Amino acid sequence: MKAFLAVLLLELRRLSRSRAAWILAGACAAWTLAVPALATSDGTVEGARLLRIQLSLGGAFAICCIALAASGACSLSREREERRLALARVRPAARFSLAAGRVAALVAVGAAALAASCAILAAGVGVGRRCDHVLDPVMASPAAEAEKMYARYMALLPKLDEPDAPPELVDVLTAMTNAPKATVMRMFAQKAMDRYETVPTNSVASWRFELPPDAAGRPLAVRMRFASDFNLRDEVRGVFSIGCREGCVSNVTKSVVKVPLSSPREAADAETEATSLSFSNTGGGTLMLRPRKDVKLLVAADSFGANLVRAYLQMVAILAAICAFAVFLGACLGRTVAVFACFVMLFVGAVSSDVIVSYPDQLETDRIDRVSLAITRTVELAARPLSSLNPVSALASDECVEPAQTAFAVAVDGVAIPIVLSLLAAIAVSKVRCV
Amino acid sequence: METEEAVSLSRVGKTFRDFWLRPTIKAVDGLDLSVARGEVFGLLGPNGSGKSTTIKMILGLIRPDSGAVRLFGQPPDSASARRRLGYLPELSYLHPFMTARETLRYYAGLCGLDGRTAKERIGELLEMTRLADAADRPVGGYSKGMARRVALASALIGRPELLILDEPTSGLDPVSTDEVKTLVRTLAKGGMTILMTSHLLADAEDVCARFMILNHGRAVASGKVAEMKGSLQQCFLAAVAERREFKVAPFLEAVSP
Repeated sequence: MKAFLAVLLLELRRLSRSRAAWILAGACAAWTLAVPALATSDGTVEGARLLRIQLSLGGAFAICCIALAASGACSLSREREERRLALARVRPAARFSLAAGRVAALVAVGAAALAASCAILAAGVGVGRRCDHVLDPVMASPAAEAEKMYARYMALLPKLDEPDAPPELVDVLTAMTNAPKATVMRMFAQKAMDRYETVPTNSVASWRFELPPDAAGRPLAVRMRFASDFNLRDEVRGVFSIGCREGCVSNVTKSVVKVPLSSPREAADAETEATSLSFSNTGGGTLMLRPRKDVKLLVAADSFGANLVRAYLQMVAILAAICAFAVFLGACLGRTVAVFACFVMLFVGAVSSDVIVSYPDQLETDRIDRVSLAITRTVELAARPLSSLNPVSALASDECVEPAQTAFAVAVDGVAIPIVLSLLAAIAVSKVRCV
Repeated sequence: METEEAVSLSRVGKTFRDFWLRPTIKAVDGLDLSVARGEVFGLLGPNGSGKSTTIKMILGLIRPDSGAVRLFGQPPDSASARRRLGYLPELSYLHPFMTARETLRYYAGLCGLDGRTAKERIGELLEMTRLADAADRPVGGYSKGMARRVALASALIGRPELLILDEPTSGLDPVSTDEVKTLVRTLAKGGMTILMTSHLLADAEDVCARFMILNHGRAVASGKVAEMKGSLQQCFLAAVAERREFKVAPFLEAVSP
């Protein structure tokens, strides 16, 4: 513990006396202050608020990630290159402390910079606004649906031998049987996620939700994205209802609508039993939507201030994992290579989920594309504990950053990953020549 | 297991290899070395003779390919061995942004000293090295001699039983050299085991009781300084007999008008 504190203090001194910590905190604060003047929103108050939160906090978080990753990657590698690591290695201190102390110092600096940014943001947008728990409809998992689709296709296999089999079906079945089953299942799971449901005029569609036990009496709303066959922003008219609560929708301008559901006061206690949300299409055209992606039930949660605190904790936890990874790279590699590798991994980790969504498995892709996708998917899998927990977009759209998710992020990203990576860095410090 | 020897090397060999694991340099070749407790021992030799590699193997920074290294009967990378070890490298390698006091506090932390002991010991060492007045200035602004004294103080912060000094007086002016030598002699009188390397044979002769001369990774001479016939310089030159004739005549002919 004494060695850990000694290394922590050393790194804090290095960061503060080289002015890196002050420049980082200043850059985060300046960016947060400058965003309202720089960003051009859609002209609405809501749009300006969303943009401000997303850009200011997202930008400050990105600045922290990049600066601290570079600093972390340089930390041990510079000590080794300047021959100081050997002096620490001949002391009786555990080598774990040499890495963990550095990670802790970097996280402390990042946490301070992010705190400054959050404080400025909170002062700018206020903390009283309500955020909502976002519930998905209860449906079979995409994987289960993919299994069913696969079974249906496999049942058609005997048709391959028939002379009058449609050529498209022959192509699909041939590609499916030639590809690995895991690839086909991934494609089907993606299709299941994107499966559209149509709601013709004067008909009702319904979806089941599991409301939290304390939802009774809390405000409810529905958020929905509609499309028609050829238009992603179609006219929508209809009525949502769940239990005794109802909300009318009439929209021609937005692709995403949020409909508050209200109920008579005397019926307020009765809705806890109701779990089925229905939508009655009273408009003139057939509407299309993807239930797994487009239908969300919003249950009132706590304030923006509390949400900001959870988002802050989550960002600090992610930062800890990034710093630990950077310090680990610095323990294994030379300074320049460590910084380069760290930036590449950060970039690929940040964009990999978008790449995978944009380029899902296509059976007809050539070998090089498949290999690239496999690499991207592997990086995405490795980076998922970081990228999937980024709370900025949820915070900006007033979605509750769930306490359970925050606890998970703190436990995994903030504690477990840094400990494991510090242990690995300690092994690397012992193995890599430092003289 | 406790032994009477502070340092013991038995048939130690080290060959450096390139990326493809092909041997490039045989730095140390079957070296036997033993330093008794309380002894001041000089490890001498020309450049590239294997002194630094030997020191690094003793410190546990590199592993020997063959043979065994023991500090107080234990492997050099064990925590108990490192607790009894102090090391002054050839260059001071201080963090320039830290003060002398902070530097010593950092190394005290790495040695696991508690706050009170660390404070007392830092005060003692700053007095001993005559750095108390400059203790709160960043070491980046120190002279080479002062930096050397900070490095020596940080090597002593854990009260080691064995002090390894790699070229302790290299690059110092005569006054600073004398200060460092006086310090080393004082520590040796206090019973500390000291293993030092040096190019400056006169310095080694002043401080060491016993010596070993290395050449091409092998011990070519060893003995007690007091029992030597002639100076250490003569002994050194006799042991490292390879002298090269520099063929300067053609060069001089070419450049003369």
